[in-house]
Order: sequence, then C-alpha cells, then structure tokens
Amino acid sequence: MIQLYNVTKKYGGDSTAIKDVTLQISKGEFVYINGASGAGKTTLLRMLYSAEKPTRGQILIDRQNISRIRSRQIPYLRRKIGVVFQDFKLLQSRTVYENVAFALEAQGKKRYEVSKKVYQALKEVGLEHRLQRKPLELSGGEQQRIAIARALVVDPLILLADEPSGNLDQDVTLEIMNLFKQANARGTTVLLATHDHSLNKRFPRRIITLDQGRLIGDQQPLQA
Amino acid sequence: MLDKIRYFILRALRNMRQWPFLCTASILTMAIALATVATFFLVVVNIEQLALRWTQEIQVIAYLNKVPSQNNVAKLKDQLSRISGVETVIYVSQKEALERFKKRLGEDASLLEGVKRDLLPASFELGLFSEYRNQQQIATVIEHLENILDVDDLRYGQKWLERFNDFAKILRFIGIVLGGFLLFAALFIVSNTIKLTLYARRDELEIMALVGATMRFIKIPFMLEGAIQGLLGGLLSLLFLTIFFVFVISRSLTSFWLTPNSFDLLFLTMNQQITLVLSGVVLGVLGSLSSLRRFVRF
Repeated sequence: MIQLYNVTKKYGGDSTAIKDVTLQISKGEFVYINGASGAGKTTLLRMLYSAEKPTRGQILIDRQNISRIRSRQIPYLRRKIGVVFQDFKLLQSRTVYENVAFALEAQGKKRYEVSKKVYQALKEVGLEHRLQRKPLELSGGEQQRIAIARALVVDPLILLADEPSGNLDQDVTLEIMNLFKQANARGTTVLLATHDHSLNKRFPRRIITLDQGRLIGDQQPLQA
Repeated sequence: MLDKIRYFILRALRNMRQWPFLCTASILTMAIALATVATFFLVVVNIEQLALRWTQEIQVIAYLNKVPSQNNVAKLKDQLSRISGVETVIYVSQKEALERFKKRLGEDASLLEGVKRDLLPASFELGLFSEYRNQQQIATVIEHLENILDVDDLRYGQKWLERFNDFAKILRFIGIVLGGFLLFAALFIVSNTIKLTLYARRDELEIMALVGATMRFIKIPFMLEGAIQGLLGGLLSLLFLTIFFVFVISRSLTSFWLTPNSFDLLFLTMNQQITLVLSGVVLGVLGSLSSLRRFVRF
C-alpha cells in the first residue's frame, strides 16, 4: 500500500527532515510512527499526502508513484487518504454536519448521498446528535471525533493521523484509539504519528521509530 | 450538474454572508471606481457633443458699414450665395437686429426705449456647409465676401472653437489615461480586498485542498463571489452615476457652459450601461482570480 525507497527531504540548504528512509507498509496494517518532536514524523506524513515532495527517493501509494506527481493529480490522491491532525482543523463557522459533509462535497458527491454518509460517519463516532452544533461548542475530544468522521466519511484506503491525541486527556485518547482500530478493522491502513509510547502499550502494533530524520527502528508487536 | 451549480452559488452566497464587511468593502470599491471612470466618460462625451453642436452653428456674420438699399440687398444676397461653401444667406436689417436684441434682453427690454432705430448695424449671416467649417475654408470665404461687401466687422467663432476642440481632445486623452489608471487601481484594490477575504478563509482553503477538492472546485465559488460582487458593484456605480449626473453634472454643465436651450445632456446609452455593469463583473472575476493564484497551491 505504501512504499518508500531511499526517501530524503531537505528544507532549504542544510536542514534535512528525512534522511534516506526506506520502508513498506502493507494494506490493512496499523503502524505507529514514533520519535521525539523534530524527528521527521510530520514531514513523513506530509509527503504521503503530497503536501511536500521528497527531495530524493521514490514514494508509492497504492502502486502510484507520487514523488513527481503533477499538481492536478494531487486531489485524486488525497481522496484515497484521510488525514487527522492534532489541532483538528475544523471550520469553526460551519456546523458539525457541514464539516463532515465538506469532504464529500469537495469530491462532488450527490446531495442525498452526502447526507446519508455524513449521518453514518457521525454515528460511528457517536456524535449523530450534535449535527447542528458548531465545533467550538464541543469538547476537544468531540472535535477530534468530528475530524475523524470527516477523514473516514470518504472511505479512505489510508488514514494518516498526526499526534491526534496530543491535545486530549487519557480517557478521550482511548475513545479515539478505538475509532482508529475500528477503521483499521474495516480494512483501512492506519498510520499514527505520536511521541506517546503509552498508546503502544495498550494497543501493541508495528512501530516505526524515527530519529533526526533517520529510520532507527521497525518493530513488529510481540505476539501475546 | 445542476446540483453542482446550485452548490457553487450557495457557497458563494454563504461566503459573502459570512464576511459582510469585506464583501461590502469590495463592492463599494468597485462601485466608486467604476462610477468615477464613467463620470469622466460622461463629462468628456458631453463636452465633445457640445463642441459638435457649436461647430454646427458656425456662421460668418458680416456687419455692414452702410445700409444697402432694398434692391441692393437682393443682389448682394445672390452674389453671396454663389461663394463656394455658403449654404444660407440671411440679411438682418437694422430694425430686425434691434428686435432680436430686445428679445434677448427679455424683461430688460425697456432699456432700449428711446434708442434710435439705427443703433445696430445691418448684417449678413452666412451659414456654411459642414466641410467648410474650419479655419482655412472660412478664410477663403471671407476673402470672397470682402470683395462683395463693404464690411465694418466680421464675426466667426472659429479660432476659439478650434481651441475648444483641442481642449476637448486633451480632455478625452486625460480621461482615457486617468480612466485606465483608475480601472487598474480598482483592479488592484478589489484583488487586495478579495485577498483579505481569502486570507480570512485560508483554513477553509487548506482543508478543501486536504480533503481532495480539485483546483476548479475551490476556485469556482470564489470567482462566482467575485462576479456577484462585481455585478452589485456595477449596478451600484450606475446608481451613483445617475445621482451624480442629475444633481451635479447636468446642473454644473448647463450653468457653466451656457449650453443652447435645446441641448440635452447625454447619459450613458443602454449598451454603455450594460458595459459598465459587465465591467464590474469582469473586474470582480479578475480580482479574485489574481489573488486566488497566490493562495491556492498544492
């Protein structure tokens, strides 16, 4: 599903965010990307949804080489990928419903289809009763669940999450993790960037560790 | 397809409602800019029109030293009308001249009471064919005329009229240059105002790009918004212009320029009005396009 070959990303002259990373992630995997802040987690994810292009190396997603993708193709790549951020990136002026519907409308889906899928997606994250609220009226955990609903409503092949629980407390984090697990169980490949090792203890999965842009560890979970 | 169009229009309208201040600002900017350009246009057009009218009224008036006898008048008339370029010849006797003067004075006509009837000289008024209404042709006409008549004084409003025409030409030139600058400034301001609205909405643009919206999908509502604002700006400028025309231009022009009574000031024709409104739309679309380019990138 995701393949990286000798990928290097440099910003400007000297600062190197990712150094010569090669890795493969198969379809349906659940992978943590660990590392201290500044290790290159965010840059790695940004390259996967083509917000950045690698300076060197090749990236393949769903067998499509995106290292030299043309900007006109990027929207179609992103339709296969759901992204969740630490700061949710919701539209404060829109209702919960509109925030989730946004992703489908952007892909040009029909209206009746949109309303059906949005309701379904919100039900999965347990917020179907908050349709007409504005994000700021909700708690951080609820906002993140809306963001997850928005990422999942398009049935993505891949879900990328960048410190999704960074702003949330323990209990809420567990809820969020459960949502990711559910999505993963339905076949979505999940990549979760975090510096929080405790997540891995509760939900052991493959861990990729980055340090200063280098890949320094790739552990499969210990089979219980 | 219809679903999409509906969606785009709703989006554009909602965006405008969400940022009423910025939206009003760009509409007003466009309206004022367009109205200013159109005002210049109107002033220039009307002054040119006036010049044209005056050119049409050009005639050579020859005031005579001696009053010719009745018989002579007919003969002179005949001779004068044979000068090439002369279209009409009218003889104004001393009596008629006084009558005209009285009429011109209107209520003050009593001033002329007790004045001798031969106060004013008799004159011939020569109307010219339009191709003869210029400096050179008039000079030849006058040459011929002086051979025929014993002229005391000649009047023809040629020199100052040509100067006036030059003035109108300069005015038109200034109008074009200034109008161009104004339109350019308007485009700049509109594009900056739209840039502000885009800046306020950069999150939205970012998220749209993130969830896989195509360039076109992101751009169309903003262009539509630009177009709607341009349309409103254009209509508003037409309103401004009408008000300005009725209360300022027409009053000042009629009092300043001593226009002939029959002279109707020109307003924009229907086509020009439509052009004005459409240029608002174009301005709005161009404005949003130019600023979108900087904001929406993948």
